[in-house]
Amino acid sequence: MISIPVKVAFWQNSDCWGCHQSLIDLHLALLPVLPALEIVYWPAVVDFKYNSLEAREDGEIVVGFIEGSLRTKQDVEGTKLMRQKCAIIVAFGSCSCYGNVHGLANQWDIQELIDRKFSQVESIADESGGEPTEHVPGFESKIVPVDRVIKVDAYMSGCPPKSQQIYSAIGFLLGQKPFPMNDLAFCNDCALNQSGCLLDAGKLCFGPITSIGCSLKCPNNGSPCLGCMGPAKTVGVRAEKLNSMTKDLGAISSGDKKSIFEFLPLFLNLPLMAGFDLAGDILKQIKKHGAPETQLANLPPTTEEIASNLMSFLRDNPDFHEISNVCDTCPRIIGSKSTMTRVKRDYEGIPNMEDCLLEQGYICMGPVTQAGCGALCIKVNAPCTGCYGQTKWGVNQAERFADTVLKGFNISLSKEELLSQVKDPIGTFEKFTLASRKGGA
Amino acid sequence: MVKEIEVEPVTRLEGHGGLRVVLGDDGTVKDVQFNIQSTRFFEKFVEGRYCEHVPRITPRICGICPIPHHLTPTKAVEDAWGVQIPTPAYKLRQLLINAKQYSSHVIHFYALAAPDFLLGPFADPALRNVVHVINKMPDVGAMALKMMDFGQKLCAAVGGKAVHPISAIVGGMKKPLDEDVRDKFLKVIDEQIEFTKKTVDIALKVVEDYWDVVANVGVVPTYYVGLTKNGVHDIYDGDIRIVSPTGEKFDYKPQNYLEALGEHIPKHSYATHMYYKPAGYPEGIYRANTLAMINCADKMATPLADDALKAMREKIGTNVIHHTFAYHWARIIEMVESIEMIATLLKDPDIVNPDCKTLDVEPREGNGVGVTEAPRGLLLYNIWSDAEGICKKLNLLVATNHNIAGIEKSLMHSAKQVFEDKALDGLKLPDPWIK
Repeated sequence: MISIPVKVAFWQNSDCWGCHQSLIDLHLALLPVLPALEIVYWPAVVDFKYNSLEAREDGEIVVGFIEGSLRTKQDVEGTKLMRQKCAIIVAFGSCSCYGNVHGLANQWDIQELIDRKFSQVESIADESGGEPTEHVPGFESKIVPVDRVIKVDAYMSGCPPKSQQIYSAIGFLLGQKPFPMNDLAFCNDCALNQSGCLLDAGKLCFGPITSIGCSLKCPNNGSPCLGCMGPAKTVGVRAEKLNSMTKDLGAISSGDKKSIFEFLPLFLNLPLMAGFDLAGDILKQIKKHGAPETQLANLPPTTEEIASNLMSFLRDNPDFHEISNVCDTCPRIIGSKSTMTRVKRDYEGIPNMEDCLLEQGYICMGPVTQAGCGALCIKVNAPCTGCYGQTKWGVNQAERFADTVLKGFNISLSKEELLSQVKDPIGTFEKFTLASRKGGA
Repeated sequence: MVKEIEVEPVTRLEGHGGLRVVLGDDGTVKDVQFNIQSTRFFEKFVEGRYCEHVPRITPRICGICPIPHHLTPTKAVEDAWGVQIPTPAYKLRQLLINAKQYSSHVIHFYALAAPDFLLGPFADPALRNVVHVINKMPDVGAMALKMMDFGQKLCAAVGGKAVHPISAIVGGMKKPLDEDVRDKFLKVIDEQIEFTKKTVDIALKVVEDYWDVVANVGVVPTYYVGLTKNGVHDIYDGDIRIVSPTGEKFDYKPQNYLEALGEHIPKHSYATHMYYKPAGYPEGIYRANTLAMINCADKMATPLADDALKAMREKIGTNVIHHTFAYHWARIIEMVESIEMIATLLKDPDIVNPDCKTLDVEPREGNGVGVTEAPRGLLLYNIWSDAEGICKKLNLLVATNHNIAGIEKSLMHSAKQVFEDKALDGLKLPDPWIK
């Protein structure tokens, strides 16, 4: 960790505090982290008030974590203030990323919600009632994910994100140094420049566009440069060769594919959020915005072209690297001795601990849910309900679920039978993400 | 000129709150408001969900106390459907809720409350937090972190996840505790009991240091609400007990809660105000949480905790205690009970017994009530199910509701003490432990 504390702020929208609890659950592991943080706003833990956040310079705070859903007008206002004051904004947890279960409220008009809570509940016992209006902020009519209101730099999903995941993200963000942006490219220092160049041998190496200044460990071990020093102000002589290679990536080797996934986040300064879900973070940004938005500016034209070639490749080849799903980390057997013959409710029977829960008849969202949790629910015999968010966006999630599970699992139902046996499709398939649905609920 | 003092936001609080004190030109307190500024309408958006899925949604009400928000709706659905759970499931749930009680009370004492006492009320706000406590008192800090870690890891072991657990299901528990996991906790339980005893010593020293404050600031007579089982302190199961300002006790079956608990909708807070219905509003305003539980209990469920309760009553009074600052002391007594409960349950073979889920579960139409005691106060779910087991309606009374009116009442009392009686001027305050 670095010696000068980094300014961080934690903002809470309408939330449960669970993401913060998950952070605190690091317990003793927090001790080396705390001295590296200068916490300038965190109402749940420190005593700074709202006006102290307002008084900060724009962009002065290095990392801002935004937790919770945008339910009230105060939530939206505070979120915008955080964007103004923080250089990097992390959408912290599934509320911020997708709206979370609070988004289920989007099925109703806001007035119906208000009426139920403030006028109709059974325990109201006097003449009072109606929406409170004095010194309270007022409600947003629908919940939307945070990135519909401000630009988000990094997403950390999960309800809550696992403690270790938060640790890895904070470590990355704190360890993040400004790129040196040296004049010359890496190739100038590279031992393989004269003979044995990896690019000349047809392997992807990002030396021509990466800044000099590192210990040259990679080429000395015969490995390609992966761009960790960030871009150089000028490009090396083989930049055009690299450029033409990145224009035609159709038949590249698996080693080169791995290089691309390591290069992009390093070079573009995209935070490593969950280790194993690195590519997922990039893909999500590309799918949402067309291209990842980076902190970098004034790149040499060839460098920009190469980076955008790689983006386009990922965008146009969505199956190139599927985001890992919960099944990838689940210990249960898929293709087990069990077969789903009807959809069971969670209270029915006692599932065994070995076979896939879907094949035992229970709706488990694992196959269409992003990895990151380590299949915690499934390990205590409870089906996944999808809190880390979907692996594919902008589609009908019920149909996507049925199409996915009917392909790879022991299920002897037709798509129609499967879907018609689920009596609460919204609560089953979009419990955490309804607010992210295009065009609303 | 009317002067308004605004605290925005109230810090070291898990939710969203602002505080307003309005002073008249003669310096008298005209109004005190505790404005809770957010609500998310769980009451409404669980409508249409499978009843058995409600406990997988509602833990998101509170990340510090998700376990009561998982268990209580499960109990409500079991009540609605007439489901009896096996004894091992009952004990696993007791273990789970006590693990939460322990970790939550530790986090409250060390992270939320202690900075006020260890640094003193006039310390630099930039330093008055748990991070500074850990830096300045590393031994105590490390001990507190080990206690929280134990509690949260036990929550995760029994609940599947510490934050937003999933292991309870209508009919019991999805899975017992694994024996090797149980053994790991048994290995360190004695150390945790020692830590708890050290915490009691620290707390008693704080009480002694601040006795003038405890005895004289915020002594506010109200009603109290809590959970007891046959009069004994219980956080998983029992009847709703109301204690009047003079110490009379009234017990209600959870299903009859509407006879006792009334809700008033204030104009200035999204968290509604609760009161004891027969006494009316605002006369019937009650308080919940640790002191309320102590006032409700005839005795604690475990020996060391019961001794601690007796010691508190000897010092402050044997009848109902109205000292707001005694909430911290009451919390310590509950902390002791929770670690004793955990120790007993960990040694009980039932918690590794796989017979922890009944197969006899069928949805039926009707409504059911579940009650537990969350770390911040009584928690009640009333769930209406249709014949297919779809949730038609939910009424939800959470700890925040039960506390807000009482907090506002004690704030008004304290504001008058501060601004009108200048009661703080002569108070004896100790030298801060951390300077």
